[in-house]
Amino acid sequence: MRNSQGAYGAEEEESEINLTPMLDVVFIMLIFFIVTASFIKEPGIQINRPDAVMGEKQADAAILVAISPENEIWIDRKLTDPKEVRVAIERLHSENPKGSLVVQADSESQNEFLVIVLEAAKAVGVGNVAISTEGDY
Amino acid sequence: MRKHHFDELHGDEDESEINLTPMLDVVFIMLIFFIVTASFVKEAGLDVNRPDAPQQQAPPEEANILVRIDSTDDIWIDRRLIDPRAVRANIERMWAENPQASVIIQPSRRSTNKMLVAVMDAARQAGVPDVSIAESTR
Repeated sequence: MRNSQGAYGAEEEESEINLTPMLDVVFIMLIFFIVTASFIKEPGIQINRPDAVMGEKQADAAILVAISPENEIWIDRKLTDPKEVRVAIERLHSENPKGSLVVQADSESQNEFLVIVLEAAKAVGVGNVAISTEGDY
Repeated sequence: MRKHHFDELHGDEDESEINLTPMLDVVFIMLIFFIVTASFVKEAGLDVNRPDAPQQQAPPEEANILVRIDSTDDIWIDRRLIDPRAVRANIERMWAENPQASVIIQPSRRSTNKMLVAVMDAARQAGVPDVSIAESTR
């Protein structure tokens, strides 16, 4: 290998590996991952989603709000008081105004809290709101 | 100026090439960071439709299909208790009578999300494009 380089590039006295193509590739990968990085705010708890047949894939989900079976609202890995849901959604929405909101409500959670979250999202002006479901989509 | 400085420090080297290794290290670390933090979350969900124009929010009551879910998770349509499996057929029938109607679900505060999603799913299966959730009643 070294020998063949010496034969072809005889005018060069030292054979160094040219890093430029690798750098190009690495930069392009870097830019790809920066661009595709969608900073989703995970709620931080796992819930049991209700089944649905007609669920659609939510591609641009940016804010996830979870409601546990004990009716606790979790936003951005923090337990949130129902009165502070609006403020929390407002803050996350301002970081990514185009992203939609998905409510991950447990199938045993009470709808009072789901409606609180929906009303808060409506008041903040989140573009698209969906309720998370389980099923093949 | 640069060459002069370089030559002064490394007088033994005859060519001054930029050392790319530290930059490569930084770029690789950034690359690894973004690969690790890339969260490819797959979320499936039912869209909650909200009317775009708030002033058109007050249509006549009879124009819409109202589905009530009471605190014991019973489903009421048109003052009749409906079996969860029959919700789709009922909505389909009412929607056929009035294709302009939208389905409005009125969940009780104590009702569970499971039943709400079941009704929303049934409405979507019946082909109603506009399904919304009203504020909790009692």
